[in-house]
Amino acid sequence: MGENGNLIRTIDLWKTYEMGAEQVHALRGVTLEIGTNEYVAIMGPSGSGKSTLMNLIGCLDTPTSGEYYLNEKRVSEMDDDELAAIRNKEVGFVFQTFNLLPRATALHNVELPLIYNGTPLQERLAKAKAALEQVELADRMHHRPNELSGGQRQRVAIARALVNNPSILLADEPTGNLDSATGSEIMSLFDRLHQQGNTIIVVTHERDIVAHAHRAIHLLDGRIARDEPRIEDRG
Amino acid sequence: MSIWEAAKVALESLRANKLRSFLTLLGIIIGITAIIAVISIINGLNLYIAEKVANLGSNVFVVQKFGIITSHDQWMDAVKRNKDLKLEDARAIQDRCRNCEAVGVEVHTYEDVKYGNQTVEEVGIGGITANILPLENYEVDLGRALSEFDVDHARYVAFMGADVGENLFPHTDPLGKQVRIGRTKFTIVGLGKKRGSVFGQSRDNYAKIPLSTFQKIYGSRRSVNITVKARSQQVMDEAEDEARVILRARHHLRYNAEDDFGIVSSQGINDLWKDLTEKIFVVAIFVVGISLVVGGIVIMNIMLVSVIERTREIGIRKAVGARQPDILRQFLIESVILCCAGGAIGIALAFLVSYGLSKATPLPSSFPLWAPPFAFAVCTLIGVFFGIHPARKAAHLDPIEALRAE
Repeated sequence: MGENGNLIRTIDLWKTYEMGAEQVHALRGVTLEIGTNEYVAIMGPSGSGKSTLMNLIGCLDTPTSGEYYLNEKRVSEMDDDELAAIRNKEVGFVFQTFNLLPRATALHNVELPLIYNGTPLQERLAKAKAALEQVELADRMHHRPNELSGGQRQRVAIARALVNNPSILLADEPTGNLDSATGSEIMSLFDRLHQQGNTIIVVTHERDIVAHAHRAIHLLDGRIARDEPRIEDRG
Repeated sequence: MSIWEAAKVALESLRANKLRSFLTLLGIIIGITAIIAVISIINGLNLYIAEKVANLGSNVFVVQKFGIITSHDQWMDAVKRNKDLKLEDARAIQDRCRNCEAVGVEVHTYEDVKYGNQTVEEVGIGGITANILPLENYEVDLGRALSEFDVDHARYVAFMGADVGENLFPHTDPLGKQVRIGRTKFTIVGLGKKRGSVFGQSRDNYAKIPLSTFQKIYGSRRSVNITVKARSQQVMDEAEDEARVILRARHHLRYNAEDDFGIVSSQGINDLWKDLTEKIFVVAIFVVGISLVVGGIVIMNIMLVSVIERTREIGIRKAVGARQPDILRQFLIESVILCCAGGAIGIALAFLVSYGLSKATPLPSSFPLWAPPFAFAVCTLIGVFFGIHPARKAAHLDPIEALRAE
């Protein structure tokens, strides 16, 4: 993070897809800054470009034009393998559909990011266990995803996202596949993680979720329509 | 992603789809089984030939009118060209070859051998000098071998093969008994130890008599075989060359004319045999190679299916930081392990086939120890060669698309 505390800085991000002869602009010049330990919700109707923005912020994709700095590193020009390394180190993903490896135990799922940065086995196990403890699932570490409830699966996914101490926790509709009770459980887990100093970005269209965030960025037709701090809402 | 991790994932998916895995691996299994079975049989035959056919005594070679002839044309040439070998040729070698330790002579014919009203037909009769028996590894079972004295005095004594002995004297002691070889009576002085058979041909159907006696009965115009023992293994080639030069000089051959005689040694027989089995081997490899290629293509196909089925898994791995080489390696290792699993089954089957053949048929078969590592090396190559395309496909998947896959 820089002196101004900007973890994420994008300058005029464009993302254009070729659909046959037609060009579809998913993002039309998004400029935004997100600081360390912010809790941001990105909102917008489907087709507004929020998934595209999330993919760019998460370093899964590169913009057609514009610049993106993550932790002062210019990510927008990196190749696939450099992006993979950045994802591994800086980004923790939480998906709507959990995206756990079905045949692997909770522990192994959480270990996965550490496998790819070459952490030695003992340290890997210790860190993965610690992450599972953080989401209160230490007693389920040898269970496979199909032996866990939806909420537990999402908590495993969160542990996986946290295990490498990433700069940002990037959640895409994290409660979309959960009932409301479990959903609010997950959201209070996010609150706690935020209080512990994590930077959290949640992509959602649910009002309840947005209420947890301190800042809401509304996207419409690939542009930022509104960017409102909500700190006062939380009293 | 360590090799061990990838191996675990691969074995996991093998276990998860047992029938599919088996069908996938069938080509590899059959290929590896066939190739090792062929290797085992050729290996067995080689040992068999070395032990039973090419078993002239050590350092021994034989000069014959016709050596080993492997084609009709060669035979026609040799019939026109080759001269009978004479006793004098043998003497010349004995006198002038410095690297030769002993020279023996043998003349052959076939006769029926009779005792009382028992007859053994078509027995190989050898008129020999006394040193032939030790030179050619005949061992005494009963009585004694032929002696210098027998040969010098042209005595009517015979040293018989075990088959002749068994057939004529099933219940009695053959020593001292008189048998008829052709029309001449001989006294049996000794019986040879059983030498067994080669490809169904008995090697115990012989009667050896003194050379001098043989020539009294059959005349001295037959070509002789000259058995030569070199002073040591090291000078085998020199001894052979000396004998060749001596005979060429005696036969007045021009420097560019071919030998008008043949030289046979254990080495020569082995070389000829190896040459033959190498050809069989090449053909077998080619045929089996086709099966392995088909097996490899099936592996490639199943790996492509696996990449599609596991697109989402690949997306997850990429999202948490797997680079292209990580994914590439995982799928390569998987296809190699798949192939090697097939190879392992193939090796086990080949071992059973080899064992079964050697027990149940006269075909000798010997499972060589280098076959398993060889098979695994072949399987690894197939796994890499046919796995590289699916693995690259997996490695180049777009993480966003992959995560979206069902």
